[in-house]
Amino acid sequence: MTNGDADGLEGTIWPQVDACLAGITADPERGAQDLIVTIPKDEIIRGLRALKGNADLAFDYLRCLSGVDWEDEGIDIVYHLYSSTRKLNLTVKTRLPNEDLSVDTATTVWRAANWLERETAEMFGVRFEGHPDPRMLLLPDDMDDTFPLRKEHPLAEIEVLQGEGIAYGEGVQP
Amino acid sequence: MTTAVPDTPAFDHEFETQDLMINMGPQHPSTHGVFRMVLTIDGELVTDVTPHIGYMHRGAEKLCETMDYRQGIGYMDRTEYLANFNAELSYVMAVEQLAELEAPERAQWVRMILCELNRLSSHFMFLGAFGTDVGVFGTAFTYAFREREFIQDLFEEVAGDRLMFAYFRAGGLAWEVPGNFEARVRETLELSRRGIKDLDGLMTQNEIFRARTEGVGHLSAEDALDWGASGPTLRASGVPMDIRKDEPYLFYDQVEFDVITGEHGDVFDRFQCRVNEMWQSIRIIEQCLERLEPGPIVPDRLPRMLRTPPGEVYCRTEAPRGEYGIYLVSKGGNRPHRLKIRSACLSNLQALRDMTIGGYVADAVVVLGSLDIVLCEVDR
Repeated sequence: MTNGDADGLEGTIWPQVDACLAGITADPERGAQDLIVTIPKDEIIRGLRALKGNADLAFDYLRCLSGVDWEDEGIDIVYHLYSSTRKLNLTVKTRLPNEDLSVDTATTVWRAANWLERETAEMFGVRFEGHPDPRMLLLPDDMDDTFPLRKEHPLAEIEVLQGEGIAYGEGVQP
Repeated sequence: MTTAVPDTPAFDHEFETQDLMINMGPQHPSTHGVFRMVLTIDGELVTDVTPHIGYMHRGAEKLCETMDYRQGIGYMDRTEYLANFNAELSYVMAVEQLAELEAPERAQWVRMILCELNRLSSHFMFLGAFGTDVGVFGTAFTYAFREREFIQDLFEEVAGDRLMFAYFRAGGLAWEVPGNFEARVRETLELSRRGIKDLDGLMTQNEIFRARTEGVGHLSAEDALDWGASGPTLRASGVPMDIRKDEPYLFYDQVEFDVITGEHGDVFDRFQCRVNEMWQSIRIIEQCLERLEPGPIVPDRLPRMLRTPPGEVYCRTEAPRGEYGIYLVSKGGNRPHRLKIRSACLSNLQALRDMTIGGYVADAVVVLGSLDIVLCEVDR
């Protein structure tokens, strides 16, 4: 319930979202296209559930769930929501600090989050607490110590890994 | 895993059946690529399904983060190789929105024509492959491929490549379409009309085909929405959600077309939805041709190296398989900080469990076929 009358939010759905998220810290921002709301990670699932259950907004469809690595500042988890009945869009974000890369699972709100969270988990090394099926999705099972979509993971690293492990084999000089 | 064996006392002398696990894929003709599902079966009934994906993962998102905006276009073709134009469109539109560019009118009409033609060619591919999945005839496959080839020829004339077009650019098109473009599109539409009629007669009115598909693989509207399904998979369950109608991009708000929905959400409805969508695509292309006028295909001031201000955009378009979204985050400069590809097939595949459990093993193949998956897009 901050920045209720923040500049540049005219014409967006912020008033409805603000009313819906009563009691939850939410920071609005005008995106290039949709309204962006940032919620702290402790309150994110409560916020998402409120947005889905609200009669005026009814965000019943999870379009996309992804992570963005901001290096020293932590990792963002981004939820793109859509309301199939009201035809509204909303982007919800939460920032995870590097010391504690974990957030509650959104599979309790939309089942669609299941594979998307598995992918984000293996690519960024984020833990989704309470996920019903926390296996690897796209990457091989033994690749659980390196996180390819983090910025610290250079592209060349993959080539090196492949060069050592697959292309040349043991004892063969490249 | 699951116990399908009821708790019967040992002295009943009844047969005890054990659950059997069978592995289907990754090398199996009906999995449309490298997809593996582990089926737990009790007799002929499927009691559990575990899908395994990732065999085609090439890290397209990571690669795009190391390339400038123009180089990324080619990668979009490689994620969605049956609807390349639609994939490219999402990407270039995302870049355009960030860079505040607008494509000239002619470029937008041409894009619309090519995207709808690509929907036709992709759905032809579906009709053919699906006929083979159902196992009634191989005829459909050859017919569908012939029709698809006419469209593919046209694409080759326009883009210079049969599959990996890389023809759209942020701001417009790579080059002007050939001089006889309009005539060729009309010619191709005529052939497509004949093709849809042929295939429709061959499949829709076939009794065996209907017996195999009607009432199979049911997916309710609530489940489809909850799983994040989109495209014909969602619309067949009766949800009239189509991004072309709900949030029109290009000039979809200036043409007339209907959003096709199904009633029962079964395999037959998903098939029928696609066939009817093909007629709508033809309707759209015809209206586009009427409006196509000579003009520039790129803006007057297009920088040689495209740079975007910091910001983010989630650009979604209605591809043949559903919502193809590009989430682009920029820190400024000439390459994305983060590029996420929202795959329609990935979300549709999640619903596979709901549709197959409780059905027969043979139906699992039909249900998978009805989702029309492209594994390149799922794994990226």
